[in-house]
Amino acid sequence: MKHSARRARDLATAKLVVLAGSGGVGKTTTSAALALAYAIDGQRVLVLTIDPARRLLQALGLQTEHASGEAVTPNVAHEVLPRLAHLLPATQHGLGLGQGGTLHAMMLDPTTGAIAMVERLLPNPAMRDQVLNNRIYRAFLPTLQASPDYMALELICELAQSGAYDVLVLDTPPMHNALDFLRAGHTLASFINDRVLKWFAKVPLPGKKATGLAGLLGTGGSMAMSVLGRLFGADTIPDVAEFFVSFQEVLPRLRDRALATDALLRAESTHFVIVTAPGETSLREAKHLHHTLHSHGIGATGFVVNRVLRLPAELRSPVNAPQVAEVLANSGIAVDRAQALAGHLQLAADRLRHLDIADQEHLRSLRELAGHGGLCVSVPQREGDIHNVAQLAVLGRTVLDGARGEVVF
Amino acid sequence: MQQSANGAQIIIHASPKLGQGLRHRPPVAILRFTVILPPMVAPLSGPNSPQQLPQSVICADLLRKEVLFVTGKGGVGKSTIAQAFARQAAQAGKRVLLVELEAVSRAGPLLGVRHPGPQPQRAASNLDLMALDVMDSLRYFAVQQLKLETLVNLALRNKAVESFFQAVPAIKPILVLYQVWHMMQVHGPRGDKRWDLAICDLPTSGFVQGMYQIPRTLQQAFRVGPVHNYATGMRAMLADPGRTGLVLVTLPEEMPVVETLELQAILQREHGVQPAALILNSVVPAGIAPDDAVMIEQLTAEPADHAMRASLWAAQLLAGRRQRALDLLPQLVAAAHGRVLQVPCLFRRELPLAQIDQIAAQLATDLAVAPA
Repeated sequence: MKHSARRARDLATAKLVVLAGSGGVGKTTTSAALALAYAIDGQRVLVLTIDPARRLLQALGLQTEHASGEAVTPNVAHEVLPRLAHLLPATQHGLGLGQGGTLHAMMLDPTTGAIAMVERLLPNPAMRDQVLNNRIYRAFLPTLQASPDYMALELICELAQSGAYDVLVLDTPPMHNALDFLRAGHTLASFINDRVLKWFAKVPLPGKKATGLAGLLGTGGSMAMSVLGRLFGADTIPDVAEFFVSFQEVLPRLRDRALATDALLRAESTHFVIVTAPGETSLREAKHLHHTLHSHGIGATGFVVNRVLRLPAELRSPVNAPQVAEVLANSGIAVDRAQALAGHLQLAADRLRHLDIADQEHLRSLRELAGHGGLCVSVPQREGDIHNVAQLAVLGRTVLDGARGEVVF
Repeated sequence: MQQSANGAQIIIHASPKLGQGLRHRPPVAILRFTVILPPMVAPLSGPNSPQQLPQSVICADLLRKEVLFVTGKGGVGKSTIAQAFARQAAQAGKRVLLVELEAVSRAGPLLGVRHPGPQPQRAASNLDLMALDVMDSLRYFAVQQLKLETLVNLALRNKAVESFFQAVPAIKPILVLYQVWHMMQVHGPRGDKRWDLAICDLPTSGFVQGMYQIPRTLQQAFRVGPVHNYATGMRAMLADPGRTGLVLVTLPEEMPVVETLELQAILQREHGVQPAALILNSVVPAGIAPDDAVMIEQLTAEPADHAMRASLWAAQLLAGRRQRALDLLPQLVAAAHGRVLQVPCLFRRELPLAQIDQIAAQLATDLAVAPA
C-alpha cells in the first residue's frame, strides 16, 4: 500500500481528523476535546457531529439540558469558543482567541442536507423543482436519517473546499459497519458511473417507446430488468426511470463530489483516530476497524481508549480480608460483623481488580497495534461524564500532542 | 382501576413485598400469571405511578412473541442481551432463531459457530444462528418471489444491480425485516413452524428508526405491486404487539438513559410503537451499606491502613454506581409502563457462555428488592 500509518506527531498539522469507533465509547466527547485543543492552538476549527442527542453541543456547553428544547439549527456552524474561553484555566484563557483560533460546532441533519445539496448542484430552479418533487426522491428522503454516512462525507467535503477552516474534526455517525462509511463515496461514484443509470434512464416512460435497451445491456441486462420488473411490479419501473431522468443533471456532479470525498479521506493530511473503551467487544471492533482502514490503504493514526479504570496501587494485589477484619475488630466492632464488613470490602476490591487486569491487557494489545510513532492514549474513567471544559481541553491536548500513555486530569 | 380481576392480581404481585415471595414459587405458578397477562398492556398500576413488573412476568411475555428486536446505543450490551434471551428461550423449550447483522459476528465465537452466514446454523439445542448481509437478504427476497434461483442469481450478479442496492439508503432494514418475517412463516414437512421465536440483534437506533419508517416509504414509493403488498404486511406485523416486541437496552448512566428515552419518545410519536421492555444492563449489585461505609471511613481516618482504605474506596465507588442506577430507574419504569428488566453487572470485560447463561437466568428472575 502506498500510504503507511500516519504518525501521531503529525496530528498537529492535520486538516481533517476522522474519529471512528463503535457507539458508546466516548467518540463525541473525544471529538469535542480534540477540536477544542486545536482552537486553543489558534486554529480555525469546525467539529461536525450527527449525534442525535446533541452530545457534542452539550459537551461544549452549547446546550446544557436535553429537555430544554433549545433549538440548535442543523447544518449551520455555531461559534462556541467565546462561550468557553472563560471556563478554561487561566493559563489557557483566551489563548486561542488571541491567536485567531475559532471553534465552530455543527450538527448534521441528513434530510435537510440532501435538499440543500440538490439546490447547490442544480442552479436551475425548474430542474431543481423537478428533482425535489420527484415522488421516489421524496419517499426516500426520510430514510436518509437512517444512513447519514454519505451526507456526512459530502458536507465535510464541501467544508474542506470552502477554505473557511484550518482543521475539520468529524465525529463519525454511529453505524454498525465502519466499512460503509469508508465506502460511501466510492459506492456512490461507482453506482453513478455504472450502466445502471443509463439503463434506468432508457427504460420507456409511459407512452414512449423503448430504445436501445438490448444493445446497452446485452442479454444479462434485459434479464436483470425483467427480474426487477417482476420483483417490484412492472409499473413501478417507469417511476424509478423518471427519478433517474430528472436526476440526470445532478448525477455527473454528484459523482465528481463522491470521488472528491473519496480522495479527501485518502489525503496525507487526513487522520483517522480510533476511539474505543475497555471490553472484549469494543476491543474486537477497534481492531477490526484498524484492519479495515489498513485494507483501504489508509493507516490509522492510533487509538484513544476511554474509561480505563485507574486502580490505586494497594488494590493491585488481593486484599487480605482476615487482616482487615482484625483491624475493624480492634476498633471495637464485634468480630462477626467485622468479618462480614471485611468480606464486603474484599469483594469490592476483587471486582475492580479483575476489571483492571482485563483493561491493562487490552491497552497492551492496542499499544502493540498502534506501533512506534502511533497514538495510544488512555483516558481514566471518571464517575459521570466529562462536562468540564477544562478537562476536555486536557484530553484534547494529550491526544494532539500525540502522547502515549495516560491523560492526567 | 379498569383492570379485570386477573389484571388486578398482577398488580398485587408487582408490589415489592409480595414480589419478594414470588421468586420462590415454582415455575408453574409463574406461568399461570403470565398466561393471564394480555400482551402489551397499558400501565398496570395507574398512569401516575407505574411500578416495575416482576421480571419473570415481563420475560415470559417477551418469549411468547414471534419476533424480538433488541437494540440500543453502541456499547450498552445489546448483543449480550439478545444472546441471553436466545439462551433463555431455547432452554425454556422454544425453537429460537438468533439473527445478527454485524460485520463481525459476536454470537458465532460464543456459540461455537465458526462461519455464521445467511443459512441458519445449529448453535445449540433449540438454537439456530444466522448472520445477514444486504445482498443475502435481497437474494432471499428475489428467490421467494420468483422461485427461480438460477434466474435470480444471474440478475443479481449484474454489477449495476448490486451497486444500485448497495447505494439505496436504508434498504437493509426492509430486506432484513422481510427475510425474518418470511422465515418465521416457513413450515416444516409436518406442517409445523420451524422456529417459535426470532431474536434480532439490531445494529443501532438509526436502524430501528429506518425499520419502522421504511414500510411506509415503500408503500408510498410503490403504490401497487408485490413490494407494496409486502410493505403493508410488514407494517402490520410491526404494529402487532402480540407478535413483535421491541427491546431497548441501556446502561445505568445518564447519557445512555437520556438517549434511550429520546428514542422511545420518537418511536412512540412517529410510529406509535411502545417498547415491550427496557433493559437496564450492568447494574452494580448491592454491596456495603452506606452507614457501614461511613463508619469504616471514620475508623480508617486515623490509622494508615492503606489496604483497608483502598478497599473502602472500591466499595464506595461501586456503591455510588449502584445509587446512580437506582436514581435513573424511575424514569425508565415510567416510560416503559413498568416493563423494565434489571441485569446485574458481572464485573467482567468478556462474557463467555456461562456468564451469558447467568444473565439469561437473571432476566427471568424477580428482584429480591424493588427500588423505593
